[in-house]
Amino acid sequence: MAEPVVETRGLTKSFGITPVLRGVDLRVFPSSVTCLIGANGAGKSTLLRILGGFGHPTTGTASVFGEHSHSMTPAIRRSIGMVTHQSWLYPNLTARENLEFYASIYGVRDVHRNIDQWLERSGLAAFAGERVRGFSRGMEQRLSLARAMIADPRLLLLDEPFSALDPQGVGFACGLIKSSVERGCAVMFTAHVALEIEGVNIDRYEMVRGRLSQYHEEVKRGRLRSLLGR
Amino acid sequence: MTNTSAALAVLRKDLRLEVRTGQSTIALFALSLLIMVVLVFALDPKPRERFDAGAGALWVALIFAGVLGATRALVAESESGCIRALALSPIDPAALYAAKLASALIFMAVAEAAAVGLIVLFFNLDVGPQLARVALPVVLGTLGFSALATLLAAISSRTRAGDLMLPLLAVPMFIPALIAGVKASGALLAGAGFSEVGKWIGILVAFDALFVTLGALLFEYVIGEE
Repeated sequence: MAEPVVETRGLTKSFGITPVLRGVDLRVFPSSVTCLIGANGAGKSTLLRILGGFGHPTTGTASVFGEHSHSMTPAIRRSIGMVTHQSWLYPNLTARENLEFYASIYGVRDVHRNIDQWLERSGLAAFAGERVRGFSRGMEQRLSLARAMIADPRLLLLDEPFSALDPQGVGFACGLIKSSVERGCAVMFTAHVALEIEGVNIDRYEMVRGRLSQYHEEVKRGRLRSLLGR
Repeated sequence: MTNTSAALAVLRKDLRLEVRTGQSTIALFALSLLIMVVLVFALDPKPRERFDAGAGALWVALIFAGVLGATRALVAESESGCIRALALSPIDPAALYAAKLASALIFMAVAEAAAVGLIVLFFNLDVGPQLARVALPVVLGTLGFSALATLLAAISSRTRAGDLMLPLLAVPMFIPALIAGVKASGALLAGAGFSEVGKWIGILVAFDALFVTLGALLFEYVIGEE
């Protein structure tokens, strides 16, 4: 069996006296898609941020490609693509200039072909020369996804990747996840509800107040019925 | 991809943003002009006092330009959380610090060039070897203040009152170098030799070495941790 790309053991995280993650145990393997489902404030984004290297666990461990997430080498960091609630794009650069900048710091080869390809796939080719400042939230999200993909990551951490996207954008995000898995990438994404991506097997976990558990659709349906009084 | 080429890419991006928006350059030039006008009328220096007054005005301009320059060099990264993207990228944090330091230095140098021109004009100084000799303490002071302010700007850009925090932290810490810079500049403008200002230059060199090293070592923790 392949080595896990992501492994957390007894991971906890507290901000002050407020616990956000409570003993999270998770393993994510190459060519897999993991979806973390939960309400606002459940701890999904915090878990992704720790895996991205932004913050130490309070207790427990979080490793990415076998290294502690808060002390990853440049080679490991290069293998991670991340999308967060912030776009990580420069508003006063154009869409193309943003991708060129990230391609240059990641040492991407064949830069222009790569950028043309991602602008085309994201549906932003016609807006390549426009500054991001003038983009809608959905266009920013698409460009942010393209930014995360520019260096062919082996681990994709996507925090609510479908937010603000129109149907065409959702199609782009789903296609991106599917093609990433097919080339061996591990994908982790967060969502508020269980989602299906055609042709992709998704490992779903539910996060409730910082605790992670296997997501069971039947249980959720049962809860919904009881809430509706049926 | 080497760290050098990645750092150059960051620097090119900063300069492109500055050329496009012109925010720092215009603000820095206006600030330099304001400082000179206020000081020359407030001090009204006698002919023999004009060297010390000119040196003092230059260093006041340097500090304000440094605060503004370092803030501008980091503000683009704070917008939309881009500093996180750089922290996750394969660039060595020390190389990233060097790139941001170079950006701040360039912004400061532009402001100082304007300030020097205005000082010559307002304080009636001769353009010649004496003015050229002030370049050494000014360059050392600029490097030291940029090194300190870039590190502190990265910290303060993550706080709510970031713009207020930077001068509150940076200016008191810069006081030893500021005293050394003003003393050395005043003496050199008045015609003293480098041997006479050696101890002040030594303080500036030590300050630069300390904060460039600290910045390169600590930048990783400043941008990485939440």
